[in-house]
Formats: sequence, C-alpha cells, structure tokens
Amino acid sequence: MSETLVPQLPTRPEEPASAAPTGWKSDSMQKRIRARYARERRFRMWGLAAVIGSAGFLAFLLVTMLWQGIGGFQRAEIALPIDFKAAALEVTPEQLRGKGADLALASAGLNDVVANAAVAAFGPDGPDYISESAWVTVRDELKARPELLQGRASIDVPASSPIALAAKGDGNDPAVTRVATRLRDEGTLTQGFNIDFLTGSDATDPTGVGIWGALKGSLLTMFITLMIAFPIGVFSAIYLEEYAPRNRWTDLIEVSINNLAAVPSIIFGLLGLAVFLNFLHLPRSAPLVGGMTLALMIMPVIVIAGRNAIKAVPPSIRDAALGIGASRIQVVFHHVLPLALPGILTGTIIGMARALGETAPLLLIGMRAFIVTPPGGVFDPATVLPVQIFLWSDQVSRGFVEKTSAAIIVLLIFLLAMNAVAIYLRNRFETRW
Amino acid sequence: MNVFALLFLVLGLGLIAWLTARARAARLSRGIAARRLHSLPSQHGWYVATWAVVPALIFIVVWANISPGLITESVLASPAAAQLPGFGFERETILNEAYSLAQGSSQGAFYPVAEQLAPAYAEAITRYNWIGTAIALILAFAFGALAFTRVKPDFRARTRFERAVMLLLLVASLIAILTTLGIFLSLIFESVRFFSIVPVTDFLFGLNWSPQVIRADDPGANLGALPLFWGTFFIGAVIAMLIAIPFGLMSAIYLTQYAPRSFRAWMKPILEILAGVPTVVYGYFAALTVGPLIRDFAVMLGFQFASAESALSAGLVMGIMIIPFVSSMADDSIAAVPTAMRDGSLAMGATTSETIKRVLIPAALPGVVAGILLAVSRAIGETMIVVMAASGAANITLNPFEGATTVTKQIVDLLTGETAFDSPKTLAAFALGLTLFMITFVLNIVALRVVKKYREAYE
Repeated sequence: MSETLVPQLPTRPEEPASAAPTGWKSDSMQKRIRARYARERRFRMWGLAAVIGSAGFLAFLLVTMLWQGIGGFQRAEIALPIDFKAAALEVTPEQLRGKGADLALASAGLNDVVANAAVAAFGPDGPDYISESAWVTVRDELKARPELLQGRASIDVPASSPIALAAKGDGNDPAVTRVATRLRDEGTLTQGFNIDFLTGSDATDPTGVGIWGALKGSLLTMFITLMIAFPIGVFSAIYLEEYAPRNRWTDLIEVSINNLAAVPSIIFGLLGLAVFLNFLHLPRSAPLVGGMTLALMIMPVIVIAGRNAIKAVPPSIRDAALGIGASRIQVVFHHVLPLALPGILTGTIIGMARALGETAPLLLIGMRAFIVTPPGGVFDPATVLPVQIFLWSDQVSRGFVEKTSAAIIVLLIFLLAMNAVAIYLRNRFETRW
Repeated sequence: MNVFALLFLVLGLGLIAWLTARARAARLSRGIAARRLHSLPSQHGWYVATWAVVPALIFIVVWANISPGLITESVLASPAAAQLPGFGFERETILNEAYSLAQGSSQGAFYPVAEQLAPAYAEAITRYNWIGTAIALILAFAFGALAFTRVKPDFRARTRFERAVMLLLLVASLIAILTTLGIFLSLIFESVRFFSIVPVTDFLFGLNWSPQVIRADDPGANLGALPLFWGTFFIGAVIAMLIAIPFGLMSAIYLTQYAPRSFRAWMKPILEILAGVPTVVYGYFAALTVGPLIRDFAVMLGFQFASAESALSAGLVMGIMIIPFVSSMADDSIAAVPTAMRDGSLAMGATTSETIKRVLIPAALPGVVAGILLAVSRAIGETMIVVMAASGAANITLNPFEGATTVTKQIVDLLTGETAFDSPKTLAAFALGLTLFMITFVLNIVALRVVKKYREAYE
C-alpha cells in the first residue's frame, strides 16, 4: 500500500548519501559533519587566541614597564664626608633659614665644596662617583640642620649614574664596576629607597629627578578640569534630558556633543593654543590653561554618561514628585539628580582618568617646559605626569630609562585606582528599577 | 588680595545672604499666620544669595582680565620706569622680572632696573587689588541688600530663582556648541592666513614635506602634505586596523558567543584596560621595546637599513590600543541582533560558528563597520604613539619597515619649536589640524548615522 502513496525516490545504491538527504550514517555525510565540527573548533580556538593574545599584549606591556621601572624607586647612595668648617662657606645660619637660602648657598660655591670633598675622599676621580645633583642633597641637609656649618659631617648623597648602574649589575665599563665593588665592600656605597624620586622635581641628571613637581602639576590641572567640566557637564545633561524642547537647536547641541566626544585630543590643544593663549593671553604652561583645555575635552564624556544616568531614572519618580506639587527644578534637584548621581560620578571618574593620561593637547599649550620647582598655584608654570614621562623618554642618558618607567608605574597606579573606584561605584549603586 | 581669597569671600557673603534671607522669610511665615508665603524660606534664601554672588563674580572675572593692564600702566608712569629700554624683548623681560620680584616669588633679579621697579609694582598691585576687592564687596552688598528688601510673603522668589537656574542649564548646554564653533573658527582663521601664503593645491597635493627649510620665494614647495596623509593612512588605517580588526572582532565573538560567564566577566574589563592605558605609555613602549624588536626582525629578514622608528612599530602598538574600541562596538552590535535569528539558525542545524559567520555578522555588519570607522578616526587622530615611535621623515612607501610620518606628529613638531607665530611653519600646523578635524568629523558623522539607522531597524 505504502509504495503507492509515497512518491518513489530515485535510488542509486552506489551513492546512498545524495539519494537520502538525511543519510546520517553514510561515510561522506559523516566526513562532512566531522569537517564542520573541526571548523567549529578551529573558529572557537581563534576566538580564544584573540582574547588571550590581547590580554597577553597588556601583560607584556605591564611586565616590561614594571621590570624596567622598579629600579627607579631605588638608588645607590655614597656616604660623603664633608668638612664644612674647613670649607668656610660664606653663609650665615640666618640666611639658611630665610627665603634666599638656595641662592645664597649656590653663590657661596657649595657645588665646588661638594666636589672638593669628593676629591678628598675618593681621589681625583671622586667627583665622577657622585651624582651631579649631589650638592642639592647637601643643600637640603644644610637647610634642615644649619649647625652642620660648624663642623664635619658624613652625608649620604646619590651616586652618579654609571656607578649606580654598576652597583645594580648593569654596568658596561669594567673600571666603573671595579670602583663600585670596592666602594660597596668599604660600606660607603649602599642601596636605599629613593625618597627623592617621590618628593623631587625635574633635573638634568637622572639620579636627582623626582616626580612630585609633575604630580602636583597634574593634581592642580585635574582640579581645574573637574571644577569646570563637572558642573557644565551635569547641567547640560540635565537640560538636554529633562527640559530641552525637540527642535533644531537641541539637535545641534546633541550633534556637537557627540562629535566633540570623538574629536582627536590634539585638536583641543590647537583650540587651547589659539583661543586661551593667543587670544585671551592667559599664562603659558599654567595648570589653569591645561585644565581648561582638558575640561572642554572631557565635558562631552560627562554629558553622555550623565544623560544615560538621568534617562535610567524611571518616570514614575518624576510623576510622583510633580503630583505632590514640586516644581520642575525641585523634581530634578531633589529627586532625579540624587538617584542619577552614582552613574554621573562613574562617568566623571572615567573622564578624569582620560584627562589624567592625556599628553598631546598639553604639549601644544606649552606644558613641556623644564620645571625644577613644583608649581605653587594654578597660574605658575607646571608640567604634568604624562608630559614629564614624554620629556624623560627623550633623554639620551641611560639612567632616565628606569626613571621614565618608574614614573609610568606611578601614573598607571593612579589610573587603575581611579578605574577601580569607578567600577566599585557602578557595582555598589547599580539599581534595577 | 588674590583672586581665590576674593572668590572665597564673595561665596561667604553669599552664604550669609542665604542664611539671613531664609531666616527672615521663616520669621515672616511664622508671624503672619493667616497668609502663607508664596515660596519656601530656602527659596527666598537662594534668590537673595544669587543676587549677592553673581554680579560680584562677573565683576571679578572682568577685573582679573583688565587689572594687569592697569597695573603695568601705573608702573610705567612711575619715575623708575624712565630707565626702561624701549619696546622689545628686554623690556618685557625686565617687567616680568619686576613683577615676580614684587610678588615675592623670585629670589633675585638679573636686571638692576627690575629691582628698582619692584616697589612700584608691589604698590600698584596692592592698590588695584584693594580697589577690586572693594568694588566686588560693594556689588555683593548692594545687590544682596536690594534683593533682601524684596523678601515679602507674596514675593515669587521661587519663580525668579528657577528662571535663573534654567538660564544656567541652558548656558551650560550651549558650551558644547561654543567649543565646536571655537575649534572650527580658530582652525579656519589660522588656515586662511596659511593659505594666503601657500596655495591650497601645493599643500594638498605636494609631494615634498620638509618644513625645516622654507624658501621665501616659494613657501609651498616644501609644504606638500601628501606624504603626511599617506603616512597617517598607512599607519592608522592600514597597519593598525590589520591588528585591531581580527583581534577585536574575534575577541568580541568569543566573549559574546562562546566564553563562560565568569571568564567574560573577567576578560572584558581586562581588555578595556588596553584602552585606558595612557597613549604616552604606549608611545614609550613602542619606542623602547617594540621598535628595536621590529628592527632586529627586519634585519633578520634581510632589510639592510631597517630603522627602529618604523611605520610597523607605531601601527602595531596603535592597533593594540584600538582593540577594545573595535571589540566593544562589535560586542554591542552582535548583542543587538535579535536572539530569534540566532536560535533559528541553530535550530536549522547550523553550528555556532556557521551561525556567527552566516547570520550574526551579516546582520551586525553596519554596526561593526561603524565601529571600525570610529576606530580609524581614533587612530588617525592619535598623537603620542606616533610622536614617540614614528619617524620624522615624510615619505610615501608601502614597506612597513620603513619610517613614515603622520599629520599629528608634524603638528606637534611644528608647534613645539621656537618660531614666530605668523610664520608659514606654525600656520601649517593649523592647516594640518583643519584637515584632520574635517576627516575625523566626516568619519564620525558617517559612523554615528550608520549606528543610529541600524539600531532602529531592529528595535
């Protein structure tokens, strides 16, 4: 019976697979399935390889920086005996306590006194053993303890770059290595934590540099950026999300915000140069101008994050507040804004992290100067941490490599901490309505 | 008194105004039991505080801009100024030195005239600071007091104050437009000056870029930017994308389609760190580690004159930086494809990879392409990596082991030297900036349009 109802399929015994499309057990079908599964596995492996590869790049970058930079936090120090009484520096203890102490000591020839002490202690090559900035350490020591002027003292000064490298086993000059070994055996050469790296400023000599000046510049710049970008960003997010009528003007505002978020950062540098420096004549190299430029750069980030956070607050909350007689401003400032604040803060921190790592616009507005004293305020010439890294990376002296990497470690620690705070905020205050 | 102390003082006055006005309004509301206040006491407080603070703040900003000029003028009128040299660089230096002496921020002066001028400067600074402080305080008091007299039960403080807040919100949102306009105008303004010296065609199509020597008779001859455009395109849109697209796309596919939930939860933030690392760090990494590795590799392959500053090292590192942009955009657009389409394909017997290749990717293609366009726009605007890792020599080449230079690197190089501000050299930087802005602007607009259109198609 059934033969008549089911249409006769053309059967060819030698090729059963093509005859029956569901001939799963046939050899060619099995082969095709195996091939498809192999392709599937390969594709999956490629995906995994891409993820692992990308993470591997990151790990390679971080490990390289850590490996090169860890030495920047240490330094070799030489105990240098100095007879201040015999040197008879022409300064009075009163001068040392006053404001002109640095100038007075420099003009009294402290530099030469230190060099002579090195000759007396280690022979004619002595000045080459200690760092060029050794006299700065001596100066600070004298300022802290003016009574030293009346006698002899042994002061730990930084060793010169070749000696320091040799002490770490990186020296490529056997003579220097011998000297370093001898000094170490005598107990004059010691390794210590480089506190000056955290408290000092830029210098011409890698053994004497520090990051505090750049860090302070960064903090001042960030302060200005936050003070400008946060209110403007939050206010325009509120306006666009809560009050703006839908018309050509608000469309224009939206397009400009979205576009500004994607404008290359160097363009903001050109804007700062043309408008803030050449047109408004604000002080060059100052954190004020840097902060204003970066504020314009990250303002769209805050606006976009703020709008998303405000959008996420359910309308029922607004309706309830309006229903009991609150004005539109009260609805926003008493109800919507507090609920949206965690989201806005997350966006702000991410924007600030971007500003903290930014270099290019600041190069254009002149924050690439060699600055030895940390800035006292937002109008003083300053440099910021990324720019300091850039300046040190250009130095030819080998000692700067580890200082640059060490500064990078500090910068990355700051950025990771900021991102961690942002993630914590997001997780802590994430609300599902 | 310095600006910050003055700001602090004015804000303190504002606080006092707020407190007193609120207290008065509260007393009114208690006193007249029959009539209720139109506005809350704190709204009266805000109204008065606004009047006390805002005019004074506006005055402080204006004063901060005009007082340096007034100070300098009164110093120049003093007898010691007679010894100053005429107009010129030296005169400026002496004035600056005297100014910092007067402020107590420097320890000594190089010019003796500066020391004589310093007292006059100090006196002028003090005088004008006191004048400024006095006017600011008078303004704060006057307007605050005027507003205070209006605190009455039926005064509509809330309406008035809220109108001011709305104005503030509107002004804040206009700053985005002003910034865009500022960028556009400043670039156009300087570029027009540049193109009045150098013909547009020379700039856009010239093959020779060597701004160090600009001939006076034909400034356009050495300012042909075509090699820069090629270098930018080669490094940012070719080499970087050859790294970023496969890695980014495959990462997104793996993390959305295959990875276990906990693996994804860990790997996604880790990949995002790649985008958060400052570009100066990438630049240093490229210059110090990747560049020499690539040079050694090129020498091994038989390129004799390989340099550590190759297009490949800059492009490679930039590609790594771009991976998270491509992957998160791909992630979003794959997630936007309806699950029904994916499930349908799987139900037909397709393997996951076949579903991805034949269904998900084609459906998500507009979003992926938009993400790549945004990544390209990001790459060609990227500065620090190329400043530190790309070479300065402009040449048109297809060999990735050779050096290439980019628009952004040249902008930095042109503007960080010590040149006068109206030389064709510095103006060329603005013309390059304008070109860069135009290109990235178009890329962004196209990408944003594509994303928007495509999102709507599935929602």
